[in-house]
Amino acid sequence: MDNSIPQNAGYLIAAYILVPTILIAYAVSLYRRSLRP
Amino acid sequence: MTIAQKGRWLVVTGLVMLGGVYVRALAFTPVERFQGLAQKIFYVHVPAAVTTELAVILLGLASVFYLFLRDPRLDRFAEASAEVGMVFAAIVLTTGPIWGKPIWGTWWTWDARLTSTLFLFFLLAGYQVLRGAVTDGSLRARYSAVLGICAVVLVGFIHLSVYLFPTLHPQPIVLKPSKPSLPAEMLLTLVLSFGVFVVLYIGFVMQRYAIATRRAETLHG
Repeated sequence: MDNSIPQNAGYLIAAYILVPTILIAYAVSLYRRSLRP
Repeated sequence: MTIAQKGRWLVVTGLVMLGGVYVRALAFTPVERFQGLAQKIFYVHVPAAVTTELAVILLGLASVFYLFLRDPRLDRFAEASAEVGMVFAAIVLTTGPIWGKPIWGTWWTWDARLTSTLFLFFLLAGYQVLRGAVTDGSLRARYSAVLGICAVVLVGFIHLSVYLFPTLHPQPIVLKPSKPSLPAEMLLTLVLSFGVFVVLYIGFVMQRYAIATRRAETLHG
């Protein structure tokens, strides 16, 4: 029986980069909209 | 300090705290034996999902109270909460497939939980389109409130869908009548991450509310 832990760190890295990217993009969008007259 | 500036500071604080959650999740929370490191996507996927539910429940409450009280502040809060909820729903719908691929072997399946969550995202997008399409302020607020109430009904369905239909998606392990079925270290990381997402939600809503208030003041002098 194979007891090794699955090697799938790439998916974790992708998700952990994607989340702050979406949050920062939205924060920038809100900031830019707040500057509009 | 204006409400928008306070919101901006909250978002910056939330993003720094998210970095802290990453450190805790990666270095101080055990690796799940069967799923490997991909299981740690749980610490962003679940808090984003619960915050989406929270955003839509608050949208629904503001919508119901608006229909009774006709207070424009409630309409502006509903508008802000719907937009922020849509952003968190986007996080749920992107991190979910990234987690699902290594565990289920597929990015997506058209089951009740996933399909209804996608439908919620489109409903929240439709809410924004509706607000842009109706020019009369009072009509816009009324129509939006009805759609906001529909969204909160859908959230109830999404939460119960894993009990009602056969699905690949696991049943709730924290938000359920019995005790959370999660080791203490994992639960603490999850709770901390949820706290960070709530801080981000509040910060975003404050900024979006300020934009809606300024727009209303510009329109009505």
